[in-house]
Amino acid sequence: MDRRTFFRISSISGGGLLISSLFPLGCQTPKPIGPDWEPNFFLRISPDNTITFSCAQSEIGQGTSTGLAMILADELGASLEKIEIEFAEGSEERFGYLQDTGGSNGVRMTYQPLREASATAREILITAAAQTWNVSGEACYAKEGAIHLKNTDKQIPFGDLIHLAVTLPAPRTIQLKEKSEFEYIGKPAIGPKTYQAAEGKVPYGIDVQLPDMVYAAIQRCPVWGGKLVSFKSDKAKAFPGVIDVVELEPTELQSNDYKGGVRPGVVVLATNTWAALEAKKLLEIEWDFGPNGNKSDSDMREELEAAKNQTNEITHDFKNGAALFRNGMRYIEASYESPFQVNACMEPLNAVAYHMGYKVEVWSGTQSPKMTRERIAELTKLPLGAVTIHNQPAGGGFGRRFFIDFVEEAVILSELIRKPVKVTWSRADTFSTSKYHPFRTEYWSAALDRNNYPVALSNKGVVEKPNGYRPYPYSLPAAFHKYLTYKDGNLLPRASWRSVMAHPWGLGLECFIDELAHEAGIDPVQFRMDLLDKAEIVEQVLVPWVGDDLYPQKLKRTLEVAAERSDWSSNGQNGIFKGVSAIGYNTSYCTQIADVPMVNEELKVHKITAVFDCGLVINPKQVEAQIEGSIMWALSALLKAPITVQNGVVQEKNYDTYDLLRMHEAPEVDIILLESEDAPSGTGEPAVPGTAPAVLNALFAATGKRIRQLPITKSLLAQGELT
Amino acid sequence: MFKLNINGAIHVVDAPANMPLLWVFRDLLQLTGTKYGCGIGQCGACTIHLDGAAVRSCSFPLESAAGREIITIEGLANGDVLHPVQKAWIAQDVPQCGYCQSGQMMQAAALIAENSDPSNHEINQAMKGNICRCGTYLRIQKAIKQAAKELASYRVLDDGL
Repeated sequence: MDRRTFFRISSISGGGLLISSLFPLGCQTPKPIGPDWEPNFFLRISPDNTITFSCAQSEIGQGTSTGLAMILADELGASLEKIEIEFAEGSEERFGYLQDTGGSNGVRMTYQPLREASATAREILITAAAQTWNVSGEACYAKEGAIHLKNTDKQIPFGDLIHLAVTLPAPRTIQLKEKSEFEYIGKPAIGPKTYQAAEGKVPYGIDVQLPDMVYAAIQRCPVWGGKLVSFKSDKAKAFPGVIDVVELEPTELQSNDYKGGVRPGVVVLATNTWAALEAKKLLEIEWDFGPNGNKSDSDMREELEAAKNQTNEITHDFKNGAALFRNGMRYIEASYESPFQVNACMEPLNAVAYHMGYKVEVWSGTQSPKMTRERIAELTKLPLGAVTIHNQPAGGGFGRRFFIDFVEEAVILSELIRKPVKVTWSRADTFSTSKYHPFRTEYWSAALDRNNYPVALSNKGVVEKPNGYRPYPYSLPAAFHKYLTYKDGNLLPRASWRSVMAHPWGLGLECFIDELAHEAGIDPVQFRMDLLDKAEIVEQVLVPWVGDDLYPQKLKRTLEVAAERSDWSSNGQNGIFKGVSAIGYNTSYCTQIADVPMVNEELKVHKITAVFDCGLVINPKQVEAQIEGSIMWALSALLKAPITVQNGVVQEKNYDTYDLLRMHEAPEVDIILLESEDAPSGTGEPAVPGTAPAVLNALFAATGKRIRQLPITKSLLAQGELT
Repeated sequence: MFKLNINGAIHVVDAPANMPLLWVFRDLLQLTGTKYGCGIGQCGACTIHLDGAAVRSCSFPLESAAGREIITIEGLANGDVLHPVQKAWIAQDVPQCGYCQSGQMMQAAALIAENSDPSNHEINQAMKGNICRCGTYLRIQKAIKQAAKELASYRVLDDGL
């Protein structure tokens, strides 16, 4: 029997027809060819007045495509509902760093260039209409996809002006709209992805199907740094639907570790996903695990501890902290542990690649189609122009989809067999052989004066990561030491995980500050406010994705509002205990106050109050959604089992051993977005780091116990250190 | 050969008897609205209706579905008219990445078909098998309440005829 044609289907009476099409299913159908006007890389207007927004940023669930479409609609003068959004193919030439979706930078990086580009297009269209009517440009305005003549009924749709617009130069100066003129910005708006998702029609990478496509599933080496020795594939090959079993050679991790790091593996090629995933389980593989085969996550703890003891170099001495630290009457210290985590995006990693020898096309949801294109060109040794990366909306990115090993795999396999190949990761693959949020420990100590008030602080951990953000907002002098590293390199390869290093440094900083407040006998909110009051602006290394310096006054404002909103002064009354955290990250500011009822054996987070300053709010509903989502994300890491490693092998294989927060565990969330005239800043991540410390600080208020590690377990609750 | 009744249409499928419905939909019938999330019935992304009950299609074999009434997300709407659950999901702007939402909506639709006024506790219990990594739980709760009210109002209209 020919395995390729084993599965046959036929359909009767309507629906469910096998759609045979030359175009990838689930992708945008091609637009009608015609004299479109493309005044810039974001915008295309067709003669039939279709307005297409070419979104540089990926849509991974953060709502960036909706927010940017709103900005375009407002500045151009178009109807949001009529804008079609397409996701731009990877292109350095067109978009440069704007196609790097990370660091909560989507709206904030694209805001200004998109406004300027849209305003320019609007002004050209106005000029075209003015010429047509023989009036001055000031008599015209743009609204709902047409240029209107003031005080009349006259209007010309954009599409009817483009033949003239294309002949006109852009004006040397343009006027951006005033806030009072915004129709969309600042108000809730429902974007196209919501309508698509409500019908199950979002075109994720995992839904892409091409004619003659081969489905691949890979058994990757379970230990990082291990090698393939040998394998037996006869049982796998006997599974119905399997075409072949081949070896996958690894690609070396690059110095820019977003690229490379494909593990050695054995690949099942089949006629459908299920056959590939099931047959994969039947492979018999022998690995040489290498040196990591003897290591466990507890070794990471020891290596960081050893690194802490050996590290004395101070890389950032803030306000003479190092010298002042010697003047303590008494010293306290604490360490805060944050274990391995995995992103566990709902859509398992996947990519479709078609390598035709002289060119390659990829369909995948990544967080940088531009970087993906460059890397695939490098990997295949094809010129950049021969590589096309179609950027699909993704079922979650959270940092993992910036690391494109999953794309490299598909390209390598397609090159081998010269057919379209879809690689689908099983859920187990995404847990056991992925790239991870690293195991980190933050070490803090403080020199206290005779009133138990801190004189100076000392930190060893991840705060001083090179090319990192300067996150410390307080006025207390502090000595920051050289970033702690593992002795022998990584036990697990790393990937970004929503909020990245802000998660461990946020945990350490906001828990330790709380401990200091308690030592000094000062209310934790008041303690922070005093320190922020006296603090100066913290300069950052400004690159496009950092955005701006850190303003302690902005953080203080969020604290004030949160304390009032959550009725902080009622802390401890009616069986509700409160804890606070205040974090500045990605140019945004977030104070969280957690309400925790008296804790007996189990911790229940009753409510989180979050006050958020992200500058100008584009879509308040989406910003609130991002804050809620960040809190749920952080609570999963706080309350649920982490990723553990024994003898190099990740122990967690699926949601039965690494669970995520579920609906019945979600607390009430009360959000206040502060009004601001400042440029929009990040919303995807800044609410993540503060949740755990707010809850742990509330736990302390409720029980007198300090828990300094994640996750909170029953035994920790039972035994936690009483202070 | 197995005869499947999916969203009112008959499909004849020649595939292994133990092939999960999820993959029959996705790879053989190009019905990709139902999603793969975990393969072991722990995340709910693959939820469909079988004879009106919510079922995890990743763990339901083809042979057991023959002859029964299957509804996937593609068939939840009534032609052009969206189901109250879908309308509520839009009104509350529930989805972030959207990947879990087909399963969430199917689970919710099954709940409100049985229970026209679910309490918060009943909603949480019915939905606790559906994971959302983006954390949209609070809006899902609101949307279910809204959808239940709308569906109940149709029933009142029906009863009044």
